[in-house]
Amino acid sequence: MWQTIIIQPMTNLLLWIYDILGHGPHMFGLAIILFTILIKLLTWPLNASQVKGAQAMQELQNDKEWQDIQKKHAKDKEKLAQEQMRIYKDRGINPFASCLPTLVQFPIIIGLYQSITRALSATPFNMLQLARTVYPFQNVENIIPLNSTFLWMDLGRPESIQMFGVAIPTLAVIVALTTWVQSKLTMPASSNPNDQSAQMTKMMSVYMPLMLGWFALNFASGISVYFIISNLLGVAQYAATGRANWSNLFGGGKPSPVKKK
Amino acid sequence: MKTKRFLLISLLALGAIILSACSRAPISTNWAGLAADAERAYLSNGAFLYAVDVQSGREAWRYPAEANTKRIFYAAPVLTQDGQLLIGSAGTDHPLISLNPETGKENWAENFTGAKGAWMASPLVFNEKIYAPNTDGFLYILDMEGKQAADPIELGGALWSTPSTDGTLLYVTSLDHHFHVIDPAANQINETIDLGGAAPGSPAVGADGVYVGSFASTIEFIQSNGNHEVITTAGNWIWGTPVIDGNTLYYADLDGVVYSLDIDSGRQNWDGVQPDGPVVASLLVVADQLYVATESGSFFALDREGKIAWEKTPGGKIYTSPVLSGDLILVAPYQAEFALVAYDAEGKQAWTFTPEK
Repeated sequence: MWQTIIIQPMTNLLLWIYDILGHGPHMFGLAIILFTILIKLLTWPLNASQVKGAQAMQELQNDKEWQDIQKKHAKDKEKLAQEQMRIYKDRGINPFASCLPTLVQFPIIIGLYQSITRALSATPFNMLQLARTVYPFQNVENIIPLNSTFLWMDLGRPESIQMFGVAIPTLAVIVALTTWVQSKLTMPASSNPNDQSAQMTKMMSVYMPLMLGWFALNFASGISVYFIISNLLGVAQYAATGRANWSNLFGGGKPSPVKKK
Repeated sequence: MKTKRFLLISLLALGAIILSACSRAPISTNWAGLAADAERAYLSNGAFLYAVDVQSGREAWRYPAEANTKRIFYAAPVLTQDGQLLIGSAGTDHPLISLNPETGKENWAENFTGAKGAWMASPLVFNEKIYAPNTDGFLYILDMEGKQAADPIELGGALWSTPSTDGTLLYVTSLDHHFHVIDPAANQINETIDLGGAAPGSPAVGADGVYVGSFASTIEFIQSNGNHEVITTAGNWIWGTPVIDGNTLYYADLDGVVYSLDIDSGRQNWDGVQPDGPVVASLLVVADQLYVATESGSFFALDREGKIAWEKTPGGKIYTSPVLSGDLILVAPYQAEFALVAYDAEGKQAWTFTPEK
């Protein structure tokens, strides 16, 4: 199931792009970049709904009616939940809309990781698996083995640059940095100290860069290329919609204006 | 909100665990390498290289004593005339190691550490030098103590097959679709030929040249001066090394078809011999029988007409090329109950070997 729905299409798409690019040095890295752009385009509506959902949730935290029901039903969780659901329904807000793109990301990341390792075939067994993965229309005899070189990296291995005898994990740093920048730009500043949504977003802006940086440190650098391009496109998307909160990057972010209903 | 937070953190943790679980997959996943002499079989089966007594089927020794991700073994070990057992590591470290085949004790292990890639292929010992092909695309040349004897020769693509020799020249196939003729005396490449597909098997050396199978689904005949021609084709990728027996060339493909080519006439001796599954392992000819191991986990003995003499099912999937040890044929199934099974020429099972934990 996982193989048929995720691994096989992803691997074939990567191989197809690689073949079109001319399957030389650096081309598999470019294939991953194009693949990432394609995924971003496909998930654009989801990301847009995430931005919209996060914004709506943020505005709700500062809404008087919302704050009133929090106080009124503070001791009756069931009633509070019912009232919250009513408000969500009345205002057309999906409370899970902001989670969906994150959920979609996981199968893509795991599938892409497995597709990269399979496509690069470090062992004969991997190569045999690859032979079974490719669709009949692919002219795979001509393109394998794939050239795993991209810039200074071997896309099948974790990346580091030797400087003064020390291995510096450059990509891991860039992944963590771009993830942090993206999360900061998308984090609306809140004036409400009890705003749980803002607290959670703040927490995620710390954990996500660390976690993706750790992934980049330990796994094939091809996945790091995906993270970096995905983050940069995410920033571009927020910037294009005019919702990027640039003041958050340099501290002292001012609260977003709350639209009164 | 708490539920959302918990869900999100759980998903992140789950993602980390899943990715962690597959992070070692590329280097830790492959079938075993197998070699044997008259006394022992040597099975490089991932974390350990096992020596198995061929009389009893019992473990004689294992190397190293403790499993270590730095040293993983998949290439078939090589026995040298001066009594060494050579094996390269496909783990996170890439030493070429010499062991005492009787005891499993290290003769040397860190004399050469210049290889950047895993050792998936066995080295060739020729004129008291070790010619070791690495996945980093270099053919390393070492002396019999494992020290660099000459500059390595850069061949390009990853090297997964053992070089062959006709006694003067070396023949090396590469995954980058190329075949190389190397003059070891001059330490240079004489000829490079495009095969049209990756070649994971070794060249088979014949009287007038060598025969190479590839993912182009062809058998190419190549002479030492570089003249070459496709002499026959297959229906799918040819993975294993072709086998020459007199005037006959045996080979098989991933469609599971076994071929028998009359070299002189260029005609197939039989048609449609297709045991029961894809063939990755090289074929083995012993006396009047041709042994075929399939991915379906079956092991066949065919006669010279292509008729099945007997069939056994050791289980799992068989990718490792079978080897002869004394009167026994040794088979190493992958992902099976047994790591090694021994049969006699009549197909009677002599013993099985499963490593103790």
